[in-house]
Amino acid sequence: MVQLTATPLSALVDEPVHIRATGLTPLQLVVFHASLEDEVGNLFYSRAFYRANEVGEIDLDHAAALGGDYKGVHPMGLFWSLKPQKLVTRLLKRDVMTSPFRVQIKLYDRHLPIETKTSEAPKASVTLERWYVAPGVTRIPVREGRLRGTLFVPSGEGRFPGVIDMYGTSGGLLEFRASLLASRGFASLALAHCGFEDLPPQPDKVDLEYFEEAANFLLKHPKVLGPGIGIVSVCRGAEIGLSMAIHLKQVTATVLINGPNFIFSIPHVYRGQILKPRPHSVQSISINALGFVEFYSIFDESGPETSQSCLPIEKARGPFLFIVGEDDKNVNGKVFAKQATEQLKRHGKNNWTLLSYPGAGHVIEPPYSPLCCVSGIANVCSAIHWGGEVVPHAAAQEHSWKEIQKFLRKHLTPVIPSSKYF
Amino acid sequence: MKSLEFNLATPAIILALAFPWNLSPAQSLLHQGRAESTTWCHCQLPMLQLTANPAKALADEPVHIRVTGLPSSQVVTIKASLKDEKGNLFQSKAFYRANEAGEVDLAEAPAFGGDYVGVHPMGLFWSLKPERALRRLLKQDVMSSPFWVTLELYDSVCIQDSATVLPRASQMVQRWFSGPGVQRQQIREGRVRGTFFLPSGEGPFPGVIDMFGGIGGLVEFRASLLAAHGFAVLALAYFAYEDLPDKLLEVDLEYFEEAANFLLAHPKVQRPGIGVLSVCKGAEIGLAMACYLKQVVATVCINGSNAITEVPLRYKDLVVTPINLFPERTQLHISGALRLRHCRGDPWELNRQSVLPVEKARGWILFIVGENDEFLDGRAHAEQALAQLRSHGRSNGRILAYPGAGHLIEPPYAPLCYMSWNPGISLPLLWGGDRVAHAAAQEHAWGEIQKFFRQHLTPAGS
Repeated sequence: MVQLTATPLSALVDEPVHIRATGLTPLQLVVFHASLEDEVGNLFYSRAFYRANEVGEIDLDHAAALGGDYKGVHPMGLFWSLKPQKLVTRLLKRDVMTSPFRVQIKLYDRHLPIETKTSEAPKASVTLERWYVAPGVTRIPVREGRLRGTLFVPSGEGRFPGVIDMYGTSGGLLEFRASLLASRGFASLALAHCGFEDLPPQPDKVDLEYFEEAANFLLKHPKVLGPGIGIVSVCRGAEIGLSMAIHLKQVTATVLINGPNFIFSIPHVYRGQILKPRPHSVQSISINALGFVEFYSIFDESGPETSQSCLPIEKARGPFLFIVGEDDKNVNGKVFAKQATEQLKRHGKNNWTLLSYPGAGHVIEPPYSPLCCVSGIANVCSAIHWGGEVVPHAAAQEHSWKEIQKFLRKHLTPVIPSSKYF
Repeated sequence: MKSLEFNLATPAIILALAFPWNLSPAQSLLHQGRAESTTWCHCQLPMLQLTANPAKALADEPVHIRVTGLPSSQVVTIKASLKDEKGNLFQSKAFYRANEAGEVDLAEAPAFGGDYVGVHPMGLFWSLKPERALRRLLKQDVMSSPFWVTLELYDSVCIQDSATVLPRASQMVQRWFSGPGVQRQQIREGRVRGTFFLPSGEGPFPGVIDMFGGIGGLVEFRASLLAAHGFAVLALAYFAYEDLPDKLLEVDLEYFEEAANFLLAHPKVQRPGIGVLSVCKGAEIGLAMACYLKQVVATVCINGSNAITEVPLRYKDLVVTPINLFPERTQLHISGALRLRHCRGDPWELNRQSVLPVEKARGWILFIVGENDEFLDGRAHAEQALAQLRSHGRSNGRILAYPGAGHLIEPPYAPLCYMSWNPGISLPLLWGGDRVAHAAAQEHAWGEIQKFFRQHLTPAGS
């Protein structure tokens, strides 16, 4: 009898799953088919072709896919190779607390065509739950003063290292990475900065005092460990994160994913000081063969304007973790991170790590998230090319997530002296 | 996908608007004028003109596009659009900067962004993209109507297609798929089904059979274009057309021999041998024709296999069994399109009997391959065939391998079709190709194809 098992059936979204099929005919060809429906009805599919071994078993931890959405040994390939039925769609979890994503995995005979939908019954199937929050994590909406966000506090006694989590131009409030960080032991504040509730949809400046309020709010919270906080930020969020690290002594560990080392388009202001944006050339926008818009060439990477507008990263106290997708088609993160680290080196600082991932794109998310290589942002552009190749992007997500947690733990938890010094 | 929506009125966060959108170039000139204490008035400004020459030409001829009368150094957008016979819209655009004299000459000026970057005089044509994804641009009526391409000039950088922003200038050009004097004749002779294109004049003209691939039916535009260059061309259908079989279940080489004999029997076709121009599955058949039919003396195989695949070949008593594909090696592109490049194995390893005996070919063979072909590895197939020729002491084969070119290598300036729907398959197929390299390959290959046929089909071999 054909059996399909997946362990664990219910887990955090960043945890791997062990998938096995048994009871097949020896050397039989089969197709594994995964599907997911998001909260707004978008469908995502993936499939891979495998051959059973001599005893009629396929263990995805060891077996190599022959084709489909990926090739080779990729135990979690069915998850990270999920593709939207409508190309320009991004998989985003909105309700992180009360519901998981449900992924259905089905096993079919190979001779079935490579359809996304079929009326034939699978030989076996299993449904998995993928959660964005661990049991016991508390979700606290934050509406203090000007602040708009959501705080996630890990379960358990005592205090936890505090982190501010910021996304980019998509605006609104994305909670899923903060809730996952909380599930991994960090008190995480998902902080909105535009296009959310009474925050302006397109602000004309970045007011760093708003972000200082957020840092202070976090540090004052009874469940947050001080004396400093961390930042996890991507794209426009990383531009703000870098600015915060430079101006706010409260920030003692900063993760910058695919961000610039200068100001993109609206000035930053902090206590009367104004930091102006770097000029760019609109005519350097490219459109690829599928009609997706690529913005990565709009900033001139050399020339006098470049060095004058770089943010003074050497003034920041805390260490930096730069994460760069080398195939990013939206932001030329590789060049900007290199410039930032060169600037630090010139000032005699070595408080940084740069993780540069060939083949990874702009949208580097927690592990096993499907690659989003194109999506739209309301009021900006309906098809922005983010870049990335499926397999290396997945590997980058897996590796960088572990590194982010290691980095935050190292720099936000006090070092307990070892006994040999006593 | 729906046409790109880009809201210019909103100061976008990724993209700040550096240019005064609401000012016309004339007004912005006045602004500059004020700063430098210069006096201008409208009547002194040169007239803005967008010219494209020739306005009416064969689709494989270049067009010289120029803009004059702009303020110096102004950034502009030049857009091209075309509606095919089914109403599908194809569009392209590029951003240029006028020189000091206020001119943009596409023969010399580099595009800074848009669908291509750099100096590409015909870039607007070969970067046309379908508004509704996955459509392929194919001209159906090749005789009585051209493709109309509209060229438009806009101020500044325009990514959005707006109903309210009007072009500053526009020009239409006609792109024809047949030349003056070429006659078109529908063919239903014996089993042969196709269309014959005969140039005007006494002749005789070198005869060529033109075959496409898995698309089936009858595709005429390449045959008609070739005829405009002095060849007598038979666009040959072999399945999914009129009373031919709906599906290709076997390749009956005698059918293709009938077609070759029909062509050679024509009083205005050069003897003693004909050429074959073929792509994809057609190229596999073309190579078989080269091996087995003495009537075929010059064969161009574009991106095809060197072995019989999927369905058997029959020629008189001979039956060649096919190599099957490996569907489990199908890969899925990020877009959901099928990438079939790895579904074929090494023919020599899999079944030597299926490999075409190219050493038997009496004529000349030109293999044309795109190295970025995502449908099949044409280069590997061609190189195996050439190695086979060499091992028999033959030197009648040659390869043109184009880095960056994809599967659908067409006549010059045809837009790259990167992936498209195909009859009988529920998912689109990925053809591959890098736009700039693919365009260069098409331009170069077309000249080589004509040279090859002239060299081997005309007695003088010019």
